[in-house]
Amino acid sequence: MFKQATLEERRKYYREEWDIKQVPDFIGNFIENREFGFDHFGRGPNDRYKVFSTLDYLKRFLRSKTPFAAYCSVAYYQKPRRRDGWMKSELVFDVDAKDIPIRTCGCDDVCEICLNEAKEIVGGLIDTLKGDLGLKNMHLIYSGRGYHIRVIDDDVMGLGSDVRSQILKYIVGADVPKDKYDDAAGIYDLQHFSIPLGYPKVFTQRVKYGIFHLTEDSKLDDVNLKLLKDVIKYRNLLEDDEWGLFKNRIGPLRYKKIIKGIASLNMSLVDAKVSIDLKRILRLPSSLHSKVSMRCTEIKNIETFDPFKDAVPKFVWERED
Amino acid sequence: MIPMSFINPLSDEGKQIVRKDGGDLNRIFDENDMLIETVSSIKSQDISDDAYIPRNYVDLVIKRIEWYVEKKSDLKYNFKKFAFLFDAKITKFDVISFYILCQAVGVKFGPNSRESRAIVELQGQLIENRLEELITSERTEITEQIMNNLILQDKIKWTQLADLISSKKISMQDLVLKDGNVILDFEDYLEEFKDEVMHRQPEKMYNLLIGNRVKELIIIKMIMQNTENYIKSVHEQMSTVEPNPTLLKIAGEISEVLSKEIRYYGSGSGDGDVKASPLNVDLLPPCIKHALDGIKSGGRNEVIVLFLTPFLSYARLYPSVFRSNTSLKVSDVDADLKITKNEILPMIHDAADRCSPPLFDDQPQEKVNINAKLGFGMHSELKLQHEGETTWYTPMSCEKVKLNMPGLCKPDETCKGITNPLSYYNRNMRTK
Repeated sequence: MFKQATLEERRKYYREEWDIKQVPDFIGNFIENREFGFDHFGRGPNDRYKVFSTLDYLKRFLRSKTPFAAYCSVAYYQKPRRRDGWMKSELVFDVDAKDIPIRTCGCDDVCEICLNEAKEIVGGLIDTLKGDLGLKNMHLIYSGRGYHIRVIDDDVMGLGSDVRSQILKYIVGADVPKDKYDDAAGIYDLQHFSIPLGYPKVFTQRVKYGIFHLTEDSKLDDVNLKLLKDVIKYRNLLEDDEWGLFKNRIGPLRYKKIIKGIASLNMSLVDAKVSIDLKRILRLPSSLHSKVSMRCTEIKNIETFDPFKDAVPKFVWERED
Repeated sequence: MIPMSFINPLSDEGKQIVRKDGGDLNRIFDENDMLIETVSSIKSQDISDDAYIPRNYVDLVIKRIEWYVEKKSDLKYNFKKFAFLFDAKITKFDVISFYILCQAVGVKFGPNSRESRAIVELQGQLIENRLEELITSERTEITEQIMNNLILQDKIKWTQLADLISSKKISMQDLVLKDGNVILDFEDYLEEFKDEVMHRQPEKMYNLLIGNRVKELIIIKMIMQNTENYIKSVHEQMSTVEPNPTLLKIAGEISEVLSKEIRYYGSGSGDGDVKASPLNVDLLPPCIKHALDGIKSGGRNEVIVLFLTPFLSYARLYPSVFRSNTSLKVSDVDADLKITKNEILPMIHDAADRCSPPLFDDQPQEKVNINAKLGFGMHSELKLQHEGETTWYTPMSCEKVKLNMPGLCKPDETCKGITNPLSYYNRNMRTK
């Protein structure tokens, strides 16, 4: 695992192990409207604008070419060969374990710990997408080094990049919520953690995740080591949601700095470019991520999914080293 | 009771008024005794000067704009001069003047013009101020009524507000969402969040987080959006119909009154223009300084091509682009391209070389992309004959930087209130 697959292993995978039935229906059902792209030599997907009118053609292509990587568009086109006649696009969130801004493992690439942290983040994002935004039709894919959330609710597939970027900022908690609210009687100070609903609640959850995953090596804008150490020292208060007490221990000004710093890092929980790009190509579920020798896999149950069991191709187990 | 069309002139009630009383464009310059009498009878209206009283429909159109301009830019703004605008007695005249205004702007300037944006903003502010003048019960009632009129379903899905979210007239974060619905009614709120708010003064929290505030925000923004759409539809009809000379004349007057306020567009700070001059590296924003040092991790091409190239070229050649609100070509401000070739490109290429690995080592095609972003097409040489094949990209906003290049934005004190790195540079240049 995490070792590049050889050409021989790729052939073995596509010809002996892979089955076209593993391509999820949400891709297979509209295959003729999608653009496919392939990376044959491990230098990026430069064989693009491919179209398959049936799954059978895709099967034959993958079996004969055994590409290094296979991708398909999140967009549906009337003329996918020219990426023309854009119809709609999946709403996608890409959480790459390697790029998570706060990782407790400190590894250089991807390891079991950060993959689990990516899974935890994805769980939170899905809860918000369902609970707040009411999205129902979504598919979770293990990409090989992280996770893709692919939403195909009709209500969101026609949305443009501007709305997508606002959705992204909402679900990751990228902005510190305002703390002044007014009604006819006057202006009130309400901290995000004292509001148990709406965006402030989402933000509180993301900040809590961030605080519990900070290490002394974490880098946050305008947060020095002393503050970082104090946050780590007092964060156990948040296990019981003692936010007021935590804020007092840290000090109100320093508290502002820490939540601002985490809000800014939250923007990197998800690769924003993927979410706002309406014509992106994403790794094809069921294809091989040759760089790390793992299978890009649709996840049916996130609770029980274990990439080290469920996304490892047979040839990896058969390797001699 | 407040007429619905006083708040929403685009409602059916408003359209009926226009159908009944507003048909004849030839008479809108005629003195209108009813209008004069109505305005004069309003108690809080200052009638000490005849000039304060609109005498006809066109006058009323101009008064609306004067109110908007004076409120925004005149420190001695006098509410009493415009009190009639906030009294529902003028509803009939007000609705007709609204349509004249939108049609004039639609005919002459179109939906993307400075004039159109001002009219849409004006309408939003007018509604907001009119609602503020009402007593609480009237305010709640009319808001509710308009809401039901604008949104026919029982529950509103946030996706129905996508246009408003997209145009940033409303932020998703201001909405209270549950299962995809925007929670607006107290009953819905209690039903959805009973467990969460039970011990926390639920009514108080509702009033603070939702109350009338979000509803008003939604109706105001929806009416603004509908106003924009109406101006657009008028403009689109112009491709088949000859523009009415009366409307063109009024549009000219509108533009003239608005020009008093022009300095408020663009950078937003209101002080003088920044002239093109050699770049002062010390005054650049932190994100640009960072980019000039070269990018050591991913995203090199985006930073150099999409972010740095537009910024450096505009900061050096056309720093007032947002204030002037006029598109130019590089050669309009650098006729022989000497500055571009001798000052701007070397800076961009140096930054590309400082990347790790140097950008052009593995991606030499990005040199062509840099030329493309300056407006010179996909060519390896910067030649005037190719200018216009592509667009000269304007500098990316701070929001886009944060989205596309996380890690580049390390704001300092000057960044507060800044929405585009170019505004940061201009502000520093003004105060240096």
